[in-house]
This record gives sequence, C-alpha cells and structure tokens, in this order.
Amino acid sequence: MRTLRSAGVPDSAIPDMGVAAVARRRVVVRDCARHSIRRRRMTGRAMQVICLIAVLIGVTPLVALVIATVSKGAGALSIGFLLHAPTPEGGGISTAIVGSGEIVAYAVALAVPLGLFIALFLFERAGAIASSIRFSADVMSGVPSIIIGIFAYAVYVERFHHFSNVAAGFALGVLMLPIMVRANEEAMRTVSVDLWEAGISLGARRSRVARSVVLRGALPGVVTGNLLALARGVGETAPLLFTVASPTFAMTLLIFNDATQPFPDAQQTAWGTALVLLTLVLILSVTARTIAWTLNRKTR
Amino acid sequence: MSDLIASLPPSPVAGSSVAGEGDDGSQALRPWRKRRRLPSSPLYAIVRWGGAGLFAALVIGLIVSIVSQSSQAFAHSGLSFLWSGTWNPDAGDYAGGTLVAGTVITTLVAMIIVVPIGLGISVSLSELIPRWLAGPLSTSIEFLAAVPSIVVGLWALLVLSPLFATDVEPALERLPVLGWFFHGPAYGPSVLLASVVLAIMTLPTVVALSRTALGGVPLADREAAMALGATHWQVVRRTVLPGARSGIAAAITLAVGRALGESIAVALVIGNRPAIPHSLLAPGATLGSAIVNQFAEASPGLGTSAVIALAGILLLLTILVNVAGQLLVRRRGGRRLLGVRGAVV
Repeated sequence: MRTLRSAGVPDSAIPDMGVAAVARRRVVVRDCARHSIRRRRMTGRAMQVICLIAVLIGVTPLVALVIATVSKGAGALSIGFLLHAPTPEGGGISTAIVGSGEIVAYAVALAVPLGLFIALFLFERAGAIASSIRFSADVMSGVPSIIIGIFAYAVYVERFHHFSNVAAGFALGVLMLPIMVRANEEAMRTVSVDLWEAGISLGARRSRVARSVVLRGALPGVVTGNLLALARGVGETAPLLFTVASPTFAMTLLIFNDATQPFPDAQQTAWGTALVLLTLVLILSVTARTIAWTLNRKTR
Repeated sequence: MSDLIASLPPSPVAGSSVAGEGDDGSQALRPWRKRRRLPSSPLYAIVRWGGAGLFAALVIGLIVSIVSQSSQAFAHSGLSFLWSGTWNPDAGDYAGGTLVAGTVITTLVAMIIVVPIGLGISVSLSELIPRWLAGPLSTSIEFLAAVPSIVVGLWALLVLSPLFATDVEPALERLPVLGWFFHGPAYGPSVLLASVVLAIMTLPTVVALSRTALGGVPLADREAAMALGATHWQVVRRTVLPGARSGIAAAITLAVGRALGESIAVALVIGNRPAIPHSLLAPGATLGSAIVNQFAEASPGLGTSAVIALAGILLLLTILVNVAGQLLVRRRGGRRLLGVRGAVV
C-alpha cells in the first residue's frame, strides 16, 4: 500500500492519526455535515417559499382582472346590449360586434390560406430562402401591432383616402400571418417524412401528397395554431386604430374609446364589451387547447 | 440481410427531422430535395412560391413604407430625431428623444418586476408544485397571454389606477432609500403603473419560455447533482438554472421585445406627458403610447411623418431585440420552443 511516508512526505508534515485523533476528526466531520445539510435545507425551504409567493403574485392580477371584468361587465350585459346599435345615451354594441366579425373575416380570408401556402413552402424546401423566410416570420411575430396598423394605414387608407374595414382586416391578417405560418409548419413537421415518401412512391403528385398526407396529418395542429392566432387577432386594438372609420365599428376600439370617457355609462359599456371580448377569446383558446389535447391523447 | 438494412434510408423519428439536416448523402426521398422527375403540378408550385413571394413582399413593404413615410421628419430634424429634443407639435418641435427614454425606462422597470417573479413561477411550476396543480396553473398563466391588451388596459385604468393613487404610491414614497425613485404627487397614471401593466402582460412570455427551458435540462444532470449530495434547491440553483441559462435569456429578450412594442394598454395608463420623467410616479410617454395619442391629431405632412418616424424607431428597436431573441432560441437548438404552444406568446 502506498502511504504518505512511502511517497516521501517528511514525518513532520504527516498529522498524528492515532485512534483518538481519528475519532475526534470523525465527530468534527459529522457535525460539519449535519450543520451543512441543515443550512442547505433551510436555504432550500426559504427559496421554495419565495418561489411559491411568486406564483401567488403572478396569479393575483389574472384573478383580479377576471373578477373585475365579470362583476362590472355583467351589469351591462343584456340581450338588448348585444342586439342594439349604439346611441348617444348608451344603447348596445351590435355594430361593434358585426364590425369586429367583418374585420376578422377579412383577416382570416387573407391569413389562413396564405399561412398554409407559406408553411407548405417551408415544409418542402431547405436552404437559404426557406430559412430566411422562417427567420423573418419569427421576427415578424414580434413586431408591435401598432406598427402593422401604421403599415396598413400607409398601404390602404392613405392611398385610397378612406378608412375601411378591409384595411383593418388586412392589418389583422398581416399580424396573424407569421404566427399561423410557424404553427402550421410545426404541425406539418410532426407528420412523418416516411409517409410523404410513401405517398410519392405510390406515384402521387407532390400537390396530392401535400393535400392528402401532409395537410391531413397536420390538420389538428393547424386548426389549433390558427385558432390561437385568431384569438390573438380578435383582441387587437392597435391595428384597427388608424384603419377603422369609427370606434363603434369594432369591439376593441369601442372599449378604448369608452374607457377614457369620464361618464359612468360609457365605462359601463366598456366593461360589458370587455366581458363579451374576454368570453370570445376564452372560447377560442379553450377550443384550440381541447383540439391539441385530444390530438396528444390520440397519438400517445 | 445486413446489406438490405444498410441500403434502407435512415428513417428519422417523426417530428425530429429538421430541414437541411437530411442531406446525409443517402438517396432517400425527402420533401426538400430537388427531384425534377417527381410528378408535380404547376399550380402547386405557383401557390407555394406565390405565398412565399407575397410574404417576402409584405416584410419588405412594411419596412420600406415606414422608412419612406418617415423620411420627411428625418429630413426636418436630422438624425438627432433619434435622441434629442422634446415632442411638442404645437411649437413645431418633433423629436423622439424623450419618448425613447420613456420606452426604455418603462421596459426596464417592467423587467425588474417581471423577471424575478417569472423565474420564481417557472421554477415552481417545473420543480416544486405537483403536476396535477402545475398543469391548471400554467394554463391559467398562459390564458393571461390571450387576454386582449385593451382589457388589461381598461382594468388598469379603472381599477388599478385609483388603487395606486390612494394606497400603493403613497406607501412606496415612504420607503427608505428607494423612496427617492417615488417622489412627487401620486396621480395614479404614471410610469410606474405603465411598468406594472407591462410586467403583467409580459409575465406569460417569461413563464412559458423559461419553463420550457427548465424542462429541457437533462434528467441525467439533475441525477448527477443529487448523487453528489445536493439538496433539491441546490440541484435547481446549481444545475437546472445554469443549464437553462440561454433559454431563460431568450425568454427575457422576447419579453423585452413585447414590452417595447405594447402601446394600447400603456397609452391608457402612462399619463401621456412627453418629457423625461423625474420620478416613477410622474406621468410619461413611450414611443407606442405617443403613436396612439398623436397619430389622429397629427397635422398632415410633417406631423404625420414625425409620428411614423416614431414607429420607425420602434420597429428598429423591436427588430433588433427580436433578432437577438430568436438567435438565442436557435442557439439553444430549441426550434420547438416556439411551436404551437408558443403561438400565444
């Protein structure tokens, strides 16, 4: 056995390791370990409490916001509120609901097909063009919505000299497009390449394989992604600000307009509209998530 | 037999195939390989290339239209539009310096609030809270991302702002040392309130992305740390958090991008005074809030051009931040980080 002494360490440098010294040393080490684990457990406990407090702080605004919107909005809600046109004395929000629906319909007509085509392009191509489009889609989804509103203003309103729901739909479509493209592509990537290959081997055209294999396989993911993008688009205000003719033509603009007025009636209308909007967005995201969830369970 | 297996193309696991990585020299059919003899229809090619071309045109058109429309303001004020001067349309002064400062301050304060809370929540969700509770909690925080910004703004203006004016802001003013940041009269609408609103709105981004990053730290790393005798917290602190560092950095960067660009909710609660705020309780203005408030009233010509120039500065800032964020996401190899789940972010 190799010892300190055989390794040439001088006697004076070797500590006295008699039986008593070893026992003493063991006690010291044990106490040290006990102390250490206690200290480390205490730190861990404290940090866990801090993290849980962070959860409470994070959830509080959400709960407070939902409670406030429901309690204040419920007072404004009635069948007439949904079906009547706005009047100077209050009235309903029917024009805003119809206007929002129209704007979203234009946006969907623009963004959904285009999103699928671009995603198919990204799915079928590798190389610089595809990766730069992918990258710019990722960056575009972070561009502020107000800038897209200004873009739509410059492209449409300023050119044709009138505000229009078409311009607003264009703005919303441009806003949702990059989100849809990326969600669609991710959904298509979950379709096995072997299935694509099998389709081609059967003699099908690329277009046929794209339709019957890629799109069919990616459909639940595509629907989920598009619904989530839609939920985001429905709640946007900034792209509509410079494109819609009157704040009574879109729900979000109506809220923005009424929130800043000092009259309780206007604020009541704003809360009611906010409740309608929140419910709509909730339904859209829950539907999207349910589809994704069912899909996950099926593939598992 | 072994020859047969060797001649088969490698079959990638579903979903793991990444475009560009399939070029391993084998002869396998792949969607992204050029095969001129594959049957195809011209219409399909037109549709795909048309879509891609239109998207490129949109991106370029967006940048070109903002730049060209803002050129008049830059011609008027020079490049110093970016940093100097005050925004005072009545006197014909158009300069974005105070607004850039306001944007940077609100975003900074929002990040100071949201980063510790967001990280605490992600650590709790992925490490501390049992799964049956973490699922619903994380869904509800993701729902916060889906709440329209105008609804957050409405709530902040009508509920939070009175609360801030009567209770929160006077209390902050009495803080030792830190109270210096909070001096001056408490109105309610203020830089502080805007930052709190931004923190609430960026919280889901931070939580969703950094939680994905925490979950991506390999189990083997945690087990190795535990085998060395680390306590649960030490595993989190010394192994999981460092392992997820670049993912967390990406989460924060993308949250900064969102905070910079949020305009509607901020316009409702910041008080709209285009000057450098002397205190966090003072009203201020950001690029986004100034665009919202000034665009409708801007005089045709120079006034409109100046507001669009503000949009140009904002576009430049957010593109820089988002490019950085996306590069961080990609460096992590986290292509899937921004998948369908991230669509709300």
